[in-house]
Amino acid sequence: MPTVRLRDASEYPEPARRLFELSRQWFAHDFKEPPAMSRVMAWDPHFGGPHGRAMKRAMAPGEFSRGEKEMVAAAVSGANACTY
Amino acid sequence: MSGDDRWYEAAFVVGITNALNVVADGLGGAVMRQVEPETAPVEVRAIFADIRTFYGTGGPVTRVLGGGQIPTPFGIIAHDAAYLADVWAAVKRAFTDRRLSRRLKTALAFAVSLTTRSAFGTAFHLAELRRLGVGEGGVMEIVGVTQMFSSYTKIADTLQLSSDMADIAPVDTSGVPDAAME
Repeated sequence: MPTVRLRDASEYPEPARRLFELSRQWFAHDFKEPPAMSRVMAWDPHFGGPHGRAMKRAMAPGEFSRGEKEMVAAAVSGANACTY
Repeated sequence: MSGDDRWYEAAFVVGITNALNVVADGLGGAVMRQVEPETAPVEVRAIFADIRTFYGTGGPVTRVLGGGQIPTPFGIIAHDAAYLADVWAAVKRAFTDRRLSRRLKTALAFAVSLTTRSAFGTAFHLAELRRLGVGEGGVMEIVGVTQMFSSYTKIADTLQLSSDMADIAPVDTSGVPDAAME
């Protein structure tokens, strides 16, 4: 059970909802609601914006592919014992 | 990255990497003496030779190790030759090119070592990444992914978020591979 009430996308202001569309494109999956982390990050766009840009820069294809980096991210999450 | 076989390989790399790091960081240095190649029993020397071949000689890894020595965790567990043989066989199998490349497996090992603050593992697998041809840009990519997901995971844990992704991956219905057929 989350320690906060995750707001539905409709509760966010329009600029945040545009970010949710970018999130949907990033994950290439039609979630009923934007992923929980996207809604958390949209709570403070002055934090979530640069954090998200840093993540996308790190995850962009380079010497390693996006898929390879997703696997690295999964391994890091496992090492951090995070089930999210 | 679909297919369970890749994820089994990744999990084995993460597990055995952590096993090596535990011994190297916990017992390295003055805590427990390493078996020296020059004085090792013949069966240990044969394994050491295989380890040297696998990691190469004269490259960045050798510099991390202090010049032609055996990586710390292997030097320590070499006090039991049979145990060393089995652990090395598992390490070599885990890191060998199969469905995942050795390069990606080394990136996974580097990321996990960095995440778990393993001084040995971070330096060792960073040197291995460079030996395998990964440039500073590529290293920085793995540092970036490791750092950002070390942030996301703690935010998610603090807020106790449930996964959005748990049930959207396709199920791999293929059977168990026959390792003897490889």
